[in-house]
Formats: sequence, structure tokens, C-alpha cells
Amino acid sequence: MYRETGIVNAPPLSTQDDASLLALVKRGDEYAMASLFDRYSKIVYSVALRVLRDPAAAEDVLQEVFMQIWRSPDGFVATRGSLGGWLAVVSRNRSIDALRRKRPAESVEEIALASDYNLADEAERNMMIEKARSIIHQLPMEQRKTLEMAFFDGLTHTEIAEMTGDPLGTVKSRIRSALSALRKAFTA
Amino acid sequence: MNTTGHIERDDLVLFAIQLLSKEETAVAAAHIEHCPECRGELAEVQGDLAVYAHSVDMQSPPAEARERLLKQVAHEKKTVPIDIAPEPEPVLPSRAFGGRRSLTEDDLPQRSFAGKIFPWLGWALAAGLAVTAGNFYLQRTALQGSVAEQKDQIAQLTTDAATAHDVMETMTDRSAMRVTLTMAQTAPVPQARATYMADKGMLIFQANNMEPLQPSKVYELWLIPANGSNPIPAGTFHPDERGYASVMMPPLPKGVQAKAFGVTIENEGGSQTPTMPIIMAGT
Repeated sequence: MYRETGIVNAPPLSTQDDASLLALVKRGDEYAMASLFDRYSKIVYSVALRVLRDPAAAEDVLQEVFMQIWRSPDGFVATRGSLGGWLAVVSRNRSIDALRRKRPAESVEEIALASDYNLADEAERNMMIEKARSIIHQLPMEQRKTLEMAFFDGLTHTEIAEMTGDPLGTVKSRIRSALSALRKAFTA
Repeated sequence: MNTTGHIERDDLVLFAIQLLSKEETAVAAAHIEHCPECRGELAEVQGDLAVYAHSVDMQSPPAEARERLLKQVAHEKKTVPIDIAPEPEPVLPSRAFGGRRSLTEDDLPQRSFAGKIFPWLGWALAAGLAVTAGNFYLQRTALQGSVAEQKDQIAQLTTDAATAHDVMETMTDRSAMRVTLTMAQTAPVPQARATYMADKGMLIFQANNMEPLQPSKVYELWLIPANGSNPIPAGTFHPDERGYASVMMPPLPKGVQAKAFGVTIENEGGSQTPTMPIIMAGT
């Protein structure tokens, strides 16, 4: 494998960081692509499945997102935070586009995110997931539901306001407050 | 925009999750492009969303998904520039001339510059053509793969379009019947809402605070016709860990006026007739 990639005495692909794998993908290394898939396919698929509630449609989003990496690995650069976080957001946005049956609203290259988590490391990833779940569970019910409806169910704030009977401004501030609470808990 | 000329944090969040209108999105995007402050805030929001996305229940993709991806990846192989090493000097064939030593290049008459270059031009042209042909072949293969993939996407999008259109019509039609189903118990109270369009047979059902079920059991939604005929099964569902569940667009006959909706607990796979008691009902 390493003879083909031209890397001598390199660590196994499964332990290499995302930037190294992306560099190999850029050079056309299919093994590096497989390693990225093994590392992040679960989160990409899980997010798509949660939004679309259809395994076949979620698998299509999974393929689309990873083929985007294969075709344009430059779309993600290290300064944009963690690849895992970026992929999770891209998966959600692509799934919502599929749900609303419209063309991708933005190219994935345009998403930048600030995140200090090393999601390439499985242990750190699992720890972050557990922490996020615990914090979300502690959010007030109405904040949690509103964020869930907006992010995973793809409902617009107007639709949420109609369904819940809450004013538009309340819906917007609940979404913002839920995210702020999440960040505060992580940075505390 | 707020009073300082920047985008409100609330709207920045909506922009990040693509919930602004087309016009609002265009205005926000134009501002963000030239405003480092808002760009920084947006990155922060995207980071928060990334963390939130990771709270989803993890599901492994089917094993075939990996195969499918790697097949597609192989299909769209990349052309990586290769450093071409200089051609080694060709070794002249040694020919013996009766008793003489083999003929070497020194023995040959001096060739002019053009005489030295022209023989190699042919080889260079041939090599160039071979590389170009190879590139064309790879590009053609990649394009074929891309066309096939886009065909699949169009088919999928067409199906999604029809469903999404129906969902939106049912949710926004003013004449649609909207029913809230409740159960009189202590908190948290299971509550559900059904939105039904009888003439089109379209139904959206969303429930909260549903109690978890035994693994072999499932909730089943029933449409109870106004004409007194038998209840019609309208889909089964399992609540998630937070008690949330939904049934979207179950297959229903068109034109059946509903007297009420009800929910029962059935064996996994659902039933054609409701098993008493009806645990939730709404008219």
C-alpha cells in the first residue's frame, strides 16, 4: 500500500491525521479515501438518516458527500476546523436539500467552521458525542424540540411557529439559545 | 441587520441552517463575504452545529455502501502528473566489420544539429500523443461515471420532489383537518397531532412524549371513517429515545372522511384491525 502511495515508513492510514489523508486523496490514493470513509461514514450516514428517515436516500447522501471529497479534496482545508464536524454539517445540509428537493444551496467548499475538537481521534470523538448528548438532554424541552425541528426535521422557523403556536421571534431565539448553551457547556 | 450594521446572531444561525428566504440568504451571503466579524461568528455557529449533529443516534451504513463508494472512486480515477525522467542515451548497436573493432559513435561522421534532433522529434511526438490519448480516455471514463451518477440523482430527486410537494401541501393547506390527540395522564403527557386531507388521502402525524414499547411491540395509527366502516390502518411507528415519533404520508384511500384518529399498541409489523384498548384518540 505504502509503495503505491509513495510514503516510506509512514504510519498506517487508519492512524494518520485527516490532513495527511486528504493530501493522499488529492494524489488519487484510493486507500486513503477508504480510510476517510471508515472514519466518518457513520456520522455522515446517521445525520442523513435522521433527516431523511429513509436508508436508501441517506446512502445516496453518503455517496454524494464522499464523492465530493474525492473530486475536490481541496474543498476542505485544515484551517476550517475538524473534517468530521464539517462532514456532519454538509451531510445535514445535503439531506435537507434532498428533503426540499432542491439543488445544493451552497457548495461544500463554502462551509467554514470553528471547532477545536479532534474528531479524527475516535476516543475524543466518542467523548464529545457523549458530552453533546448529555448537554442537549439538559436543555429546556422547548429549546431542544425547536432546535431538533429546525436542524434535523428541516422545518422553517415559520413552519415551527405555526406548529408550536409560538411567535417567530421566540422560535429564532430558542434555536440560538440552544446552540449558545451547547457552546458554553463545551467551553466551560 | 442589527444597529451596528452586522447580521443578528439569530439570523446568522438561520443562515447557517439554510432557513432564511432566498432574498434574505442573498443579502446575508453578500454581507458575510465582506465582513470578517460575521464570518467569524458564522464559523462559530457552524462549529456548534457540528457538535449538535454529533448528538444523533449513530447508525452504521450498509456494508455495500463502502463497496459502492470505492467502486465509484476507482471509476473516477485521478490523473496525477508524473515527473518524466530524461530518456537515457540510446546505445548504438555494435556491428563488427571484419577484424575491426565494433563501430562506435565516434566512428560515425558528425551529424548536423537538425540531424541529431529530428529522429527524436518523432519519438517525442509519439510519446506526447500517447499521454494525450491516455488523458482523454481517463476523462471519458470519468464523464461516463458522472453521467450515470447524475441519472441516478435525477431519478431520486424526482421521487423526492413528489413526496416533498405532497408533504408541503398537506401541511400548508388551510382546508386540511388538524387534530390533536391527547391522553389524560400525569406529566409528561403523550401528545400527538394529525394533519389530514381527506380528498387527497394525505396524512401527517407527529407525536411527543410517547412511552417506549417492548421490542416486539409497535404503535399503530388508525383512521376511523365517518361513515362507520372499519378503522383503516394508517402506519406504525416507534418513538425515539426522547419519545418523539412521526408518520408521514402513509398509503391511504382518497376521499375517506375521518371521524377520528386513534393509536393502539400492536405486535411488530402492525395489524389490520385495532387491538383494544385505543390508547390515544382525537376527533
